[in-house]
Amino acid sequence: MERMMLMRLRRLNRSVALLVGLMLLLCAAVVLLDIILRQVGSSLGGTDEISGYAMAIATSWGMAYTLLELGHVRIDLLRTRAPAFGRAMFDLFSMVVMTGVVVLIAIKCWPVVARSWTQGSTANTPLETPLIWVQAPWFAGWLWFAGMSAVVTLLAASLIFRRDFEGSEEAIGAFAEQDTLQ
Amino acid sequence: EELAVVGSWSSLPLHNQYEAPFWNETLPAASNGEITVALTTHNQMSLGLGDIYPLLGQGVYDVAMTVADYAVSDAPELEGLDVPLLALTADEARAMVDAARPMVSDIYRDRFNSHVLAIAPYPPQVVFCNHEIAGLDDLEGLKVRASGRMTAKLLEALGAEGVNVSFAEVPGALQNGVVDCAVTGAGSGYSAGWWEVSTHLLPLPLGGWDSVVTAMNLDRWNGLDSATQDLIQEQIITNFEDPAWASAQDALVNDVACLTGNGDCPAGEARSMVLVEATDADLARARDVLTGEVLPDWAERAGGDWAERWNASVGQVVGVTIE
Amino acid sequence: MIGYVAVGLLGLLTLSIPVGIVLFLLGIGVDTFFSPFPLIRGLGNMVWSASNSATLIAIPFFVLLGEILVRSGIAARTYAALDRWVSWLPGGLVHANVATATMFSATSGSSVATAATVATVAMPQAEKLGYDPKLFSGAIAAGGTLGIMIPPSINLIVYGFLTQSSIPQLFLAGLIPGLGLAVAFMIITAIICSIRPELGGGRRTFPLGQMLRALIDLGPIIVLFALIVGSIYMGWATPTEAAAVGVAGALVIAAAFGGITRNMIVESVLGTVKITSMIMLIVIGASFLNFTLASAGLGRELESFLSGLGLTPLYTILVIVLLYIVLGFFIETLSLMVVTIPIIVPLVVELGYDPIWFGILMIVMIEMALITPPVGLNLYVVQGARKSGSLNEVMLGAIPYVLMMLAMAAALIAFPSIALWLPQVLG
Ligand code: NA
Ligand code: NA
Repeated sequence: MERMMLMRLRRLNRSVALLVGLMLLLCAAVVLLDIILRQVGSSLGGTDEISGYAMAIATSWGMAYTLLELGHVRIDLLRTRAPAFGRAMFDLFSMVVMTGVVVLIAIKCWPVVARSWTQGSTANTPLETPLIWVQAPWFAGWLWFAGMSAVVTLLAASLIFRRDFEGSEEAIGAFAEQDTLQ
Repeated sequence: EELAVVGSWSSLPLHNQYEAPFWNETLPAASNGEITVALTTHNQMSLGLGDIYPLLGQGVYDVAMTVADYAVSDAPELEGLDVPLLALTADEARAMVDAARPMVSDIYRDRFNSHVLAIAPYPPQVVFCNHEIAGLDDLEGLKVRASGRMTAKLLEALGAEGVNVSFAEVPGALQNGVVDCAVTGAGSGYSAGWWEVSTHLLPLPLGGWDSVVTAMNLDRWNGLDSATQDLIQEQIITNFEDPAWASAQDALVNDVACLTGNGDCPAGEARSMVLVEATDADLARARDVLTGEVLPDWAERAGGDWAERWNASVGQVVGVTIE
Repeated sequence: MIGYVAVGLLGLLTLSIPVGIVLFLLGIGVDTFFSPFPLIRGLGNMVWSASNSATLIAIPFFVLLGEILVRSGIAARTYAALDRWVSWLPGGLVHANVATATMFSATSGSSVATAATVATVAMPQAEKLGYDPKLFSGAIAAGGTLGIMIPPSINLIVYGFLTQSSIPQLFLAGLIPGLGLAVAFMIITAIICSIRPELGGGRRTFPLGQMLRALIDLGPIIVLFALIVGSIYMGWATPTEAAAVGVAGALVIAAAFGGITRNMIVESVLGTVKITSMIMLIVIGASFLNFTLASAGLGRELESFLSGLGLTPLYTILVIVLLYIVLGFFIETLSLMVVTIPIIVPLVVELGYDPIWFGILMIVMIEMALITPPVGLNLYVVQGARKSGSLNEVMLGAIPYVLMMLAMAAALIAFPSIALWLPQVLG
C-alpha cells in the first residue's frame, strides 16, 4: 500500500518538475528573445526581474521532486556502515528533522507573503510587479514541499514499522544505494 | 544599552568615514559607556536590499541605515523623498530632505514600525556614457541602465530606453554596447573603474541623491528613557548627519575632477572623461517631464494625500507643483 | 562560535541529515545561543531573497546545457576525441577526464555542472577498462572545479557583483590560471602514474588518422564556447544572459548531430530541476546561516582576529589562505564567497592588493573547498554518478589535485601577473 502511494507521489512530482522545467525553458527563450531584440534596437524590458521570479518559483516547486528522487545531498559515512535496520533509523531520523525544518521554513515564509498582500507591495522596478503574484506561488511551493516531506516520512515510518527496510530504503534512502538497486 | 546596528554598504565612504566612527566611537563615548554598539552592514549580512527595513520593523536588529529607495516596494510614497534632478547642489538636496522629513517619519512609523533618526546623502547619482552626448536631450534613443524606479520612469519619459543590468555587469555592458549609458554615484563609478569603459560624464543628479535613512525599531526607541533618546538624537544629527552633508558637495566636486581631470583629484589618479555641461534648456525640459509625467504618475502610485503633502513641503522648497 | 559551528556541522552531517537542512539547523542554533536578537524572524525574507535571483538562474541554464550535451551524446564524443589525443600519457584515460573537464569548463559557469557532465560520460569507461577508481574519480572531481575558473563562471560573476569589480576583467584574469591548473593536473597525474602505473590503467595510443578524425567531435564544444564567451565580449549578452545563449546553442548543436528526441528533452529538464533544487536548498540554507553568523558577530570575530595579529601584508595573505583552507572544509562555494568577501576583500585592498587578483586567488581556494571533505559538493556529484564504491575513494583520489591547487595559490601570490597580465594586455 505504502509503496503504491509512494509511486503515485513520485509520478505526481515528476509532472510538477516537468512544468517547472518548462517554465525555465520558457524563461531562457524570453531572455534569448530580449538579446535578439536588443540587436535590432528594441527590448522587452524587465527580463532579469522575471528570471528572478521564475528562479524562486522553480526552486520551491522543484524541492519535493528532488526529495522523492533522493536528490538532496546527504553524507553517508556512518550510515553505510550500519545494518539494514540502522540505516532505516538514520533515514527516518533524517526525514523527521528535514520535515521539521521545512515546515518551519514554510511557516516563516508566510509573513513575507502576508506583508506583500496587506501592504500591496510592488517590485521596486519599472514593471511594478505586485509581489503577491509571484510570492503566492513561491510560498505554495514551500507548502507543497513541507506537505510532501511529512507524507513521505509517515509512509516510510509505516514501512519500517512493518520491517520492510527495502521499501523504506527506496523511499528515503541515500542516492548511491538507490542506483545500485536498479 | 547594547544596540545592534546594521550599516549601509561597507565599501562606501559614507559607512567608513561617518557611520562606523559614529556608532563605534562617538556615541559610546558621548554616553560615557552607557550605550554599546555591535555594528555590521547589510552586505556583510547578505541581506536582500528590500528586506532591510521590514526586518528592522520586526525587531531583528535595533538600528538600520540604507538607501530609502531600496524600500519603495513596501512604500511607494517614499519615492517622493528623492526625486531626481530637483536638487543640483548638496545644499538644495538637504533643504529638500529637511522639508520631506515629517513625511518620511510618518512613512517609517506606519510602514516599518521604526523611528527615523537621520537622513544622510550618498553622492548624487550621475550619468556615465560610452557614447557621445552633448546634453540631456541626447539621451533620447540611447540604452540607459538606471537604478531606482523613478529614475527609470524619468529616462523613459525623456525617450531613453531603460535596460536592467546589475551593478557588477555595468562595465562589461558599457564596453560592449549592451547599454550606452549608466547611472551611479560619481565616486562609485570612479572606484569601480567605469571611466575605463565610458567616455562622457553628465554630472547631473539624474538618479537623485540616494538619501540614506537611519532608523530605529519603534518599540526599542519607545523603550528608551527620554534622556537616552535625546542623547542619541542630538549626537546623530551633530556628529553624523551634519558632517556627512557638509562633505557631500566637496565630494561631488572632487569625484567629478577625478573622472574628468578638471581640477585636483585627492582620491588618486585623475582620468580624462569628457565633462558634459547641461544647458538651462535641458533642465527646463527635464522639469517639464517631471512635473507633467513622472510626478503625477508617482502621485497615483502613492495614493492618499501624499501629492498634497509633497506639494506643501518639498514642492515649496524646490518650486515645483504636482499637477 | 566558530567552534560551535564546526562541531555542530560535523555532528549533524555524520547523522546523514541533508546538507542544506543542516545549514538551516546551524543557523537556528546560532540564533538561539549566540544572538540576543530574534533572527529567526528573518528566515522567510532570507528564503525569498536568496531564491529570487536573476544571477542564480544561470545555474539551471548551465546545468540544462550540460544535460543536453550528455544526453545527445555530444559529451561522450568529446570525451572519446580527447581520449585519442591525451591518453598516450602515463595515466591514460585519467588525462581525458582532466582535458574534458577543461573543455567543458569553457562552456559551463559552474563546477558542479562540469563535474556532473564529465562524471556521467567518464564513469562507464572506468569500469569497462578497469581503472583504479580513486585517481580516476578524483581527477573528475578536481577537473570539474575548473568550471568556475575558466570563463564563463557564476562565481566570478558573484565576486564581481559583491566587490564592484569588472566581470569581463575577472573572466580574462581567470583564463591563464585555469589553463595552468589543467596542465598542472595532467603533470601530477603523469608523475603519479609513472611511479605507480597500476593507478592509471593502460596508456593508449591511436593512429594519426583516428586522431585527426576525432578533431571534428571537438567542434561542438568549441563552437559553444565561442558562442557563450563571444556573446559576452561582442556585447550581445551579459554574463548571466550568456547562459541562456548557451542553452539555445546546445539545442541547435544537438539537433545538428541528430540527438534531439522528446524523451531526451524530458530527461534533461527533469535532471535540471533535480540538480537545481539540490543546489538551491544548500544555497538558501547557507544564506540563512550567513545571516545569523554575521548578525551574531562572526565578521567582528574574524576582523579583530586578523588585525590583532599585526602581520605584514604577505603574512596576512598567507593567514587568509589558511583561513580559506579551514573554512573550505565545511562551507561551500557560493556561501564561502558570500560569507567572506565583505570582510576579507576590503582588508586585502587596504593592504594594497588588486581586487581582480584576489578574486582569482579566492577562486583557487574555493575550487579546493569543492573537493575537500566533509563538505565538498564535487565529491558528492562524482560519487552520485558512480554505481558502486564509497565516497572515501573519491576523497583520497582528489588529494594530489588539492596539492596542485595549493601550488597554484602560491604561484599567484609570488607572481600576481599570472592573473593580471591578460586583463592588462586585452582590457
Ligand atoms: Na567556466
Ligand atoms: Na570542502
